Amino acid sequence: MTDTARKLRNGVGLGARHLVYAAIAFVFVLPLWWAIVSSLRPNGEVFADIFPFTAKALLPTPFTLEAYAGVFERGFGMIIANTMLVALVTMVAGLVVNGAAGFAFAMFDFKGKRIILSLIIISFMLPFEAIALPLYTVTQQLGWLDNIAALIVPSVANGLAVFLFYQFFSQVPKDYAEAARLDGVSWINILLRIYVPLSMPTCISAALLLFIFQWEAFLWPLLAMPSQQFKVIQVGMAAFQQQYQTIWNQLFAVSVITALIPIALLLPLQRYYVQGLAGAGIKG
Amino acid sequence: MTRSRSPALLIAILLAPALVGLVVFRLYPIELAISDSFHNVLRGQQLFVGLDNYLALLTDSAFWNSLQVTLWFNLLINPIQIALALGLALLYVQQFKGVTFYRVLFLIPIGVSLPTAVIIWRIMLSQDGLVNGVIGMAGVPAQPWLTAESLALYSIIAIATWKGISYWMIFIIGGLQNISPEIYDAARIDGVKPWQRLVFITIPLLRPTLLFVLVADVSINFLLFAPIFMLTQGGPADSTNVLMYEAYKSGFVFGDMGRAMAIVVVVVAILLVIVGLQFKLLSGPKEAR
Amino acid sequence: MKTTKIAIIAGLVASMLAGTALAQDKTLNMIVIEGGDTTAMQAVADAYTAANPGVTINLQPYPFAQFFQVAELRLRSADAGIDLVYVDAPLLASYASRGFLSPIDASIDTSTLVPSALDAGKYDGTQFALPINNSAQVLYYNKALFEAAGITPPDGLTAGATATQAEVDDLAATKRWTWEQVADAAQKLTVKDGGRTTTYGFTVEQFGELYQLQPFGESLGTDVVAPDGYTASGYLDSEAWTKAATYWSDLYNAWGVSPKSLGYGEAAQLFGNGQLAMLAGGTWNLPGLIASGVDFGVAPYPYFEGGKVLTPTGSWYVGVNAASANQAEAFDFASFLTTSAEGTKVWFDSLQQLPTYQPLLEEISTAASYDAFPNDVFRLGVYDSLNTAKARPVTAAYGQLQDAFRTAFVDIANGVAVSDALASAVQKFEAAAARVAP
Repeated sequence: MTDTARKLRNGVGLGARHLVYAAIAFVFVLPLWWAIVSSLRPNGEVFADIFPFTAKALLPTPFTLEAYAGVFERGFGMIIANTMLVALVTMVAGLVVNGAAGFAFAMFDFKGKRIILSLIIISFMLPFEAIALPLYTVTQQLGWLDNIAALIVPSVANGLAVFLFYQFFSQVPKDYAEAARLDGVSWINILLRIYVPLSMPTCISAALLLFIFQWEAFLWPLLAMPSQQFKVIQVGMAAFQQQYQTIWNQLFAVSVITALIPIALLLPLQRYYVQGLAGAGIKG
Repeated sequence: MTRSRSPALLIAILLAPALVGLVVFRLYPIELAISDSFHNVLRGQQLFVGLDNYLALLTDSAFWNSLQVTLWFNLLINPIQIALALGLALLYVQQFKGVTFYRVLFLIPIGVSLPTAVIIWRIMLSQDGLVNGVIGMAGVPAQPWLTAESLALYSIIAIATWKGISYWMIFIIGGLQNISPEIYDAARIDGVKPWQRLVFITIPLLRPTLLFVLVADVSINFLLFAPIFMLTQGGPADSTNVLMYEAYKSGFVFGDMGRAMAIVVVVVAILLVIVGLQFKLLSGPKEAR
Repeated sequence: MKTTKIAIIAGLVASMLAGTALAQDKTLNMIVIEGGDTTAMQAVADAYTAANPGVTINLQPYPFAQFFQVAELRLRSADAGIDLVYVDAPLLASYASRGFLSPIDASIDTSTLVPSALDAGKYDGTQFALPINNSAQVLYYNKALFEAAGITPPDGLTAGATATQAEVDDLAATKRWTWEQVADAAQKLTVKDGGRTTTYGFTVEQFGELYQLQPFGESLGTDVVAPDGYTASGYLDSEAWTKAATYWSDLYNAWGVSPKSLGYGEAAQLFGNGQLAMLAGGTWNLPGLIASGVDFGVAPYPYFEGGKVLTPTGSWYVGVNAASANQAEAFDFASFLTTSAEGTKVWFDSLQQLPTYQPLLEEISTAASYDAFPNDVFRLGVYDSLNTAKARPVTAAYGQLQDAFRTAFVDIANGVAVSDALASAVQKFEAAAARVAP
């Protein structure tokens, strides 16, 4: 095969690859694109080119930033900050608490382990709607209503996250720990020095799980904060769909902002994330 | 730190925060919820009715129809989501010029919250909406995506899949990262073809991750009803009326918590059986890397 | 150091303030719907606390879509953190039958309220809630689209014209369109372009909802359920309802004049964009439609030829949570909100919803400030609320009825056969209602 032929083949291969990726990306992007476009229109024009659909529906005409201005006038900056606070605190506390539990289940054998582990896995299989009322009563008895603790503490221990860590730590060969123990290293140091660094990809997954759980939380923040002084994003967003009208362009503006924040947080992580895979040889 | 510290104490310290949290905020409320299924409210009085609410379900045609819809929905959505999430994860970790751009776009649905995704898709799938506009260009007649008995459930599966697979993709990428590159290098030297690498190396080594994703995804989809609540309210002709929506209606719209909780207990019992089977079939002996 | 000091002082001041507040004040918590209702309620609360400085009214607003669920959960947990409850008319029986509400204090004078609105706050003969305001539905029509199609629009109230109460009464009594006329015009107004509809002839604001469609069948002579509130066979599947449902089906299937499955607010949006010729909707759409710049008129809510004129009615009520520790104070505010000249006026000025307080209705009928459009539309509301309004059934199974009804009418619009859909609705409603029937 000559050099030019190979180059040509690679070129065609790269082109085909881009085509496949672009097609998939298009499906992912289209709805958000439409939301972006709609958020840049005046409220009255949001549906102008939708029923029936014309290509103009995908362009922000007439263009205005009034929705974004309106959203921040309503204090959405504060609402985003509130949600970030709740989500980040839950995430950090949840990584420690659930990671520790997952480690204990994976490394040690003790009485009742299987039963406790099963209960933990079952605990996330019950729909929130079913336990909302008892959970509300518990929170009331603790005196946590209208307290930010009510948003954070019940969500820190997460059966799914324990399960995720357990799955990961069970996979790590026990020899590492045994060798370290023979060298006189304490369990805590084994956890912090050997297992935590190894588990970084799992930590990112678990962090995402905990973060997104709070990012999407809706019914619970509504119930746990009766005075509605401290609002989180999903609660704030619901205010745009009112009894008699919907403020569409602001609703979409908020949707766009809230969609971009988790993505922005994932981006720096993803560089680290895929780094380890560079030589992984799963390049098709 | 000394070696003399007993592991029992260490285990207790490691487990305590998670266990306390789960007992207080999950298991105790669950216990209260289950007791609701043995009660009915009549004229403001909470009455103990034993298994009546469960027995009533046996002759309840809405319940049986709903059970059928729930099982069919899950039989389709779970394999589809996991296969697509795996495929997407494999595309995500490829290295070539410009891939970073696509990676960003693949993450988009994670950020779009479910209610927003539902609003946008409903408008795009309406009779004169964007999707019908696009297929119209290809000469396909407009389809009643959410309003026809034969299509609505599949449209909901498509929307939930759009929303869900990027999320599951992240977990699978995490699993891929735990696979040692040497294994692939060795395989390459031995001339193993790419699809063989996928079937004989990647998937077996991903088993713990896939088990996690499968269990989590099945649990979530079994309880999923928000898109149905927002899009079709169980219709047309009950074709999307999953059990959790039936329970939600009973409890919150009809004020009939006894029936609602009985349905939830049945749903969770079925879910436990399914998840138990998945563990049996998939966990197997632990892999050493 | 400095910041600690400031913090300590701030803390002391705050605790002193809280201490004095506890010593004198009563705080009343009220759950209410987020948006315009909260703004209006805050205005009433401000007026009340100005006269009663010892009381603080603390509003807890919830989004409309989640209000019922949150209210249900909190009321069921016997939450003393709620004193006043914002009650949707049809849910009253469900709340009252489960003991969530205290019977209304007998000392409150309710003689000034519209009797039909007052009655809808009763369960088992006992008053459990007081009406805050009423609702009225009208037929909006786009003048330009009628002109373009060369059709005479219905008689109605339009911009630039004025109308006395007598003229409005005449309009409502003698010039009201029938649904047959609406269908006729709608077919001529609908514009299709290559199989896709670019202009729709007609739609209702609330797709498939009992509130809006109850007059369809009932104006033909049969109630939607039996007087017991738990039987639907012989009612929802009667000849009258079959005829009404067939008309509904034709709108979507045979004639194709109405858009399917619109969400809340989307029909008004379509009308405001000039893509819809007629909209049957609430008077609350007026400010939005005026802002949209579309040139429209307002006609009375139609009825079936040969049938009785009936119109949707009912709105929000206020009740006192049975678990509240502040019964007397809560009733005092509820009375101010619904039966005082000042409270009802503040509410009306803020929210512009049809009142149930008769002296205020009098004012709308007679004051010159209501002569001109769009204020004269309220006079249409006055006529309907006194002459044609038909309340929704009072039953503890209202949620079940609403759900079965909506399911049936949405299915019918989507092409399910009328008789199948109604039969299934009757079966489903009766099975679910039997579980809560006393």
